[in-house]
Parts: sequence; C-alpha cells; structure tokens
Amino acid sequence: MPLGPGLLDELRRILGPDGLVASAEGRLVYECDMHTFYKGAPDVVALPESTAEVVAIVRLCRGERVPIVPRGSGTGLIGGAMAPLGGVMIGLNRMTRIVEIDLANRAATVQPGLINLWLTRAVQERGWFFAPDPSSQMVSSIGGNVSTNAGGPHCLKYGITANHVLGLELVTGAGEVVRLGGKVADRAGYDLTGVAVGSEGTFGLVTAVTVRLLHTAEAVQTILASFGSIEEASEAVSAIIAAGIIPAALEMLDELMIRAINEGTGAGYPKDAGAVLLIELDGPRAEVLAQAERVATICRERGALDVRVARDESERALLWKGRKEAAGAVGRLAPTYLLQDCVVPRSRLPEIMRALRAIAERHRVQIANVFHAGDGNLHPLILYDDRNPEELERAKAANEALLHACIAMGGTITGEHGVGLDKAKNLPLQYGEADLNFMARLRRIFDPDRIMNPGKLLPSHPACGEGFRPARPRVPEGAWI
Amino acid sequence: MSILARPIQGALAAIVGREALVDDTAARVSAAVDGLVPRWIVRPRSLEHVSRVLALAWDAELAVVPRGGGNALALGHPPSRLDLVLDLRRLDRVVEYNPDDLTVTVEAGTTMGALAARVGARRQLLPLDPAGVERRTLGGLAATDASGPLRARYGTMRDLLLGVRFVQADGVMTWGGAKVVKSVSGYDVPKLMVGALGTLGVLGELTLRLHPEPEFEATWLAVFTDVAAAQAFVARLVDSTVQPSRVEFLNRAGLAACGAGDGPAAVAVSIGTAEEAVRAQGETVARFAREAGAWLRPLGASFWAAHAEATALDGAIVLSVGTLVTLVGETAAETERAVAAAGVAATLTGAATLGSLRAAFPAVEPRAVGTLVERLRAFLAPVGGGVIIQRAPAAVRAAVDPWGPVEPGALSLMRGLKDEFDAKRVLNPGRFVGGL
Repeated sequence: MPLGPGLLDELRRILGPDGLVASAEGRLVYECDMHTFYKGAPDVVALPESTAEVVAIVRLCRGERVPIVPRGSGTGLIGGAMAPLGGVMIGLNRMTRIVEIDLANRAATVQPGLINLWLTRAVQERGWFFAPDPSSQMVSSIGGNVSTNAGGPHCLKYGITANHVLGLELVTGAGEVVRLGGKVADRAGYDLTGVAVGSEGTFGLVTAVTVRLLHTAEAVQTILASFGSIEEASEAVSAIIAAGIIPAALEMLDELMIRAINEGTGAGYPKDAGAVLLIELDGPRAEVLAQAERVATICRERGALDVRVARDESERALLWKGRKEAAGAVGRLAPTYLLQDCVVPRSRLPEIMRALRAIAERHRVQIANVFHAGDGNLHPLILYDDRNPEELERAKAANEALLHACIAMGGTITGEHGVGLDKAKNLPLQYGEADLNFMARLRRIFDPDRIMNPGKLLPSHPACGEGFRPARPRVPEGAWI
Repeated sequence: MSILARPIQGALAAIVGREALVDDTAARVSAAVDGLVPRWIVRPRSLEHVSRVLALAWDAELAVVPRGGGNALALGHPPSRLDLVLDLRRLDRVVEYNPDDLTVTVEAGTTMGALAARVGARRQLLPLDPAGVERRTLGGLAATDASGPLRARYGTMRDLLLGVRFVQADGVMTWGGAKVVKSVSGYDVPKLMVGALGTLGVLGELTLRLHPEPEFEATWLAVFTDVAAAQAFVARLVDSTVQPSRVEFLNRAGLAACGAGDGPAAVAVSIGTAEEAVRAQGETVARFAREAGAWLRPLGASFWAAHAEATALDGAIVLSVGTLVTLVGETAAETERAVAAAGVAATLTGAATLGSLRAAFPAVEPRAVGTLVERLRAFLAPVGGGVIIQRAPAAVRAAVDPWGPVEPGALSLMRGLKDEFDAKRVLNPGRFVGGL
C-alpha cells in the first residue's frame, strides 16, 4: 500500500534528510532477510538515532495504520525483517551505543543495533563475555538476537538469549515507552521482559537492552570424535549427558556434511566417518580436564573411530573450522539449500535421523546435517538446484515432512531461528486453537492496532483474522441458571 | 448470589463428584485466606475437572483462589473476595519423565519432595531450593517464582520451566512453550506464567528442565568481622572463574538459625562438580576469604537442609529485598537497622551474587512494617531495587502494599493483560500487583 506524501514529509521532519531510504534501489536492499524466499520491500526505511525518534515514528504510523517492520542487521533466517505488506521499516543500525558496562554487577546496557560480538570485544580483556553466540554473531545485532530469542552452539550450557536478558526498553505498538526489568532481580509483576524476548518485533521495538555478562571460563577443551554411524554418535551423546556432563557445545555432522566440509575447507575430518561429534567443555581448569578425559573415554567405549583433543588454541580453531564453514561448504554439493531448525528430544536423535533419510529418499533430495546434538536442535540442509522449479518443490515438500516428523516425536518447529513469515503457517502443528488464541490476544495488549510486523510469528486465521476461537468446556446445563 | 448457592453446589458436585467437594463449616474455616472463608473447597482429580470448574466459576462470576501446599498464601494483597478454593494437591502425578532428555512433566500439585525422590534415583535434580521446599508443590513454586540459594548457579523457575498447561479464567485449557529443552516457537508463554500468582490462569501441568546432580559437592563458611568485608569477598568471587552453586549471605541471626556459629556477617559457598575441581576451586575461595580477613571452614552437607528448614520457620514477616550485587553489604546493614528500628531483629539470608536478600522477623504492628518497608524502598529505588512482602499477617498486607510500586507503563500493560484474560476477576482477585 503506497504511503501518503504527508507521512513521508512527517518522517523526513522527524529524521532529517539522512534518516530515510525512499528510493526504489535503496529499498531493494531491505526486501528480504537471509531467508531469501520471502521478498517484500518496505515503502520507506526509517533510520532513527534515538528512542524519541522511534516513538515519533511509531505514533505517526499508528495514526495512519501503516505497518511497521523492525530490522537489525537483516541476518535472520525466517523472513522476519522484510515487509510483505509494505509500510515503514525501522532499521535500528544507527543505535549502536554501549550505554553502560557494569561488570561488578555482571551487566551491560546497550542499544539494539550493537553487533553481538562487539559487546564481548568490549569486555573480553577484563575477562568477561556475552553468552548468546549465534553463528551470525559477527554481524547480527543484539536487538535482532532479542527479537528472535537467538541461540547458538554454546546454548546447551548457557541457554538462549532470554536467559541473558535482564531488562528492556520497549516502544510498544501503541507508541508508549516502557521500561521492563533491569539489573536488580526479584521484581514485582508479570515477567514482561521474558515474554517480550522472542516476540519478533510484534510487540514493538526494543530501544535498549540490559544483559547479563558472564565471566570467561578458566579453561576450554575441544574434542573431535568420529564414528561409523549417526546412531553410535547419538549414543555417545546420551552417554555423555547421562554421566552428568553438560558440555558448552555438542555438535554433530553427518556423512554428507563431512564430505562437503573435507572437500570445501580441508578441515581434515576422518574420511570414512559416518558422523563427527565436536565437543567443547569449558569451566574451571580441573573440571575441564577431568571431564575431557571422561568424554574421550565414553566416545572410545561407544566405538569412536578416532578421538582428537585440541592441544592449543590453533588446534581448537582448526577443529571448529569445518563446523563454522559447514553452510558454505555445502555449496559444493548443490547451488542452494533450505535450512531447517526443528528440535526433537535428544533421546530420539537416531530415530529422527532414520526418518530424515526416508524423507530424503521419498522426495528425491539430498539432506546434509549439521546440528546441536546436545539439545536435539537439528539443522538439516535440504539441497536443491534453484534453476529447477520441480526440484524446489520437492525440497519444500521434504521440508514440511521433516517438520511433521519432529512434531510427531514431541519436538518443536524452531529451536533458535524463530517463526517469522516462514513458519507462521506451521505454528498450528504445535499449538491448538486455544493456545494460538492466547498468543493473538497477548499480542494485542502490546500492539492494539496490529501495526507491528504484521503477518509474522502468528498465522492469520482463515475465517476471522486473528480471532482463533477456542472451545470452552461445557458447563452442566440448567444446573443453576 | 446466595440464592444461587445451592444450584452452583449441585453443578460443582456434578463435575468433581460429591466426595471432592467440601462444604462443611470446619473445613471451610480452616481453608480461609486472609480471613475470607470460602463457600466451597474443590479438590479436582484431573485438569479436565479444573477446566470445568473454572468455566462454571466464570459464568457465575465466582472468586477462585487456587492453592497447592498453602505455603505462600500470605503473599500479595488479601483477596478482594473469595467463593471457592481450588485445592490442586490431588493433581500429583508425574506425567512423563525422560531422564535421557533431562526433562520431566508433572501435574501442578506434585510436591518437590516427591519429584526430587523420583529424579534423584537417576542422579538428577530440579535445582530449586526455597524455604521449606520439600513440602511445596511445583505449581505453587512456579506461580510464586520461589527460589533459594541454588539460583546462584541454576537461575530461577523462569530458566527451568519449558512448557506449561494452564486453565484460563473462563475454563479454556491452554498450552504454552514446548516439551523440549530448546524452543522459540511462538511467544514464551511459560515466562508470563512464572510469578503471576495464577492471576492469568491456573497452572495445571509443568514441563521442567532437569540438571544432572554434581558428582561431588563441598560447602564452606567464611565468617567476617563486618558486612563490608563480606561484600569484598563476594565482589572477589563475582570477578573470578570460580563457578559456585551457592553463595549465600547470612547475618548473625541467619548463622544462628542454621546452627552454623556466630559472627556479624558470613557467606556460605558451595561448589559441585568433579572432586578434583571442587578442591581446586575451594583453595581459590579460601584465598579470597583470607584476603577479606576471614578463615574458610568446611560445613557438612546437612547445612543446606538446615538452611531450608530454618528459613521456612524464621519469622511471621518475610521480605525479599532486591538490590545490586555491589550493594548487598550496605543493603543488609540498612535492612538490619530498619528492622531494629521497629523493635525486633532481622534474620538475613540470600543469594549474594544476585543481590537477592531475604529478611525475616517477628510480627510487629502494621504501621511499623509500613515504616520500615517504605524506608527500604526509598533506599533501593535509586538503583532500581525493591521490597516484596513474601509473608505477613493479613492486617499488614492490607495496610502496606506488599508488592511496591511498579513502573507505570509496565503496570498499564499488566492491567491490560488481566483485563484481557480475566475481565471478570475470577482468579485470585485483588492479590497481585496494583490490586489486579
């Protein structure tokens, strides 16, 4: 829907001439996030530099009922930071200040556009870090991490973004600034901070984030173990957890992925392996040494073909190299891929991998796997050639079948990427009418006119907009009235 | 309403069965909440029962107070009205325990003691240890966001609750979250339910994340000459690679209550992991203690059980005092002074590395409680801290806002939530922040 000229003038007045991207070619840059299936350029991109400017934009848009799409670095994987209905995109990349670092209270407050890794860089010399580490952390913004409740390889031990957010400054869809949570724990009232994290811009825009910082571990140990099969590797994972060890990261690669990585990066993973486990332990030195020894023993007992323990930082980097470049390496196998993010209970990993192979065969696609085995978070890459439309259709069908399989095993449709436009339609796989109704009503508390990131996170109901109608239980009739 | 009482009773009996509906006077009086005697006590055996009872309550606009073990009924404002007490203790099944996945799903009335026995047999634990934890129900722990010393390492209920089945005020059964340890599918509804005192829905079933029991654990106590020295010790721990399970501050009365000796201020530290790593970190902790002028002495494992029991019984009035980590010492001293000004002595405990203190003292006049709570709130306001009355006689909570001020914008959203999900004010009416 085209914006009225009055609205553009008002935006220009709020932001100045440098604060808007209105040209067609300029807007094109913002038409999608990293899930490039979904394209929709905003009518204009606003680049505010302060909370006050954000408030002014939201109030203006609310008055005109114009959709708002928040955006950080645009590295999301869910079709979240794109504008299917047009409207005003608010890019927060100019709000990158570190407002406060307070190590004695284990906290920092930052603006949403700050790049994730920059925060760790600002404190690492003093021995601290910000735990959420999505693979995009060199470019993704903390505001974006909060919006999607981002995870990362190390969230097995440290938890996802929500576990590290203490407080937020939020500009709601109603244009009100609210301060939620803060450095001090034990606050009265509903945990609005907790529910706002992961709300994917549907509640409003986060303009400041107070996060928990952690002290860097005394020691880190990285182990690479290769196995003949995914089943054996999965059993080793279960045995490690059963031994009471929660590694910082516990990553698995399957045969196809190992081949792609070996050919693409020269990481030198064992050639004949059916699965590779990458295990990272961190903590006090004596603990890490003791646990590393036990992990190596467990892997050998479970039939590992090879167990390598990194002896220094450069060996550690080498072991991680293949894992980190996995997504790029599959480029050697196929021109492009669909990346999935579903989760199953960890104990069902062997079962889901069998199901996955059957799905690949049935839909005649190749699926390469690299995933967070410790928490059962799969990242199958469904390979296809985008020059062949029929192949794309098969890849999409395999993708849907995979989601169904994960849900059937008691899992979830997204472990760390989020819902966005991509999976809004899949949410009913996991939630009933009553559950979706609750969420839709929750959204309206923060965004009464439904201008915030419309079409994302929740499916729109075919019959009546967002009005999912749950069935109420029947009260015995005529009993008292 | 009274002319309708008999038909409602018939409907309740039709739902839960006559045996699960209690209406005799003695039982009702003993189930009173802050002096309000319910007309009925209902003891549902299934979530389906809860759903149908609430649907009825909604239509008849009854006021419902859900309860578990009854340990936290003195939290919040006294209810504005009360018709029905929903006693959830019969919902006590462990629905699904998956030790390989470190997850468990329990009904809300399951006690922590029962759950701990079940998962303890597999050397796993749900790391929540508030006062009197054994007798408390999981639903109650979640609704009141109760926590204890172990939060230093494992966080609180918000970090452990993965999924929740709850019944909305109008009887609609609802699920939020997931049954796996990692999910960002839809809004994080479990977070909204933690600490909400059942005001947005009655918690029925909880899926929780478990942790492995540490293979070895040791506890030490450092007694300091004053709170400033204790504070210096805590600061040293925070800025180190030591990973303690608990860092509990204790004042003189706290030490005595736990039977752990005498001194103006102390910190108990526990570490749980591989034995050699516990010993190595223990040496570091001992060095920090020496630098702050104290000796570290080992405590038996029974110390924490004694702590949990002592804090369950330690006073008619209990406050949680939230402060900055860097102000734990000063806040403790100010709390001692404020309580002393009311003519009694405070027993102080609390998670020092999180700035989460707990003050307990004998009953004093409501006016005196008001004075000391206001004094502490004024002291803490500049740093964003606060005081919540966790337990007190009804007269105190009628006279003094037990929650304290909430930021107006946030409170307005909270009111919006309550209006949306419980417009008729059926669930725990009046008890929550802002009288919601």
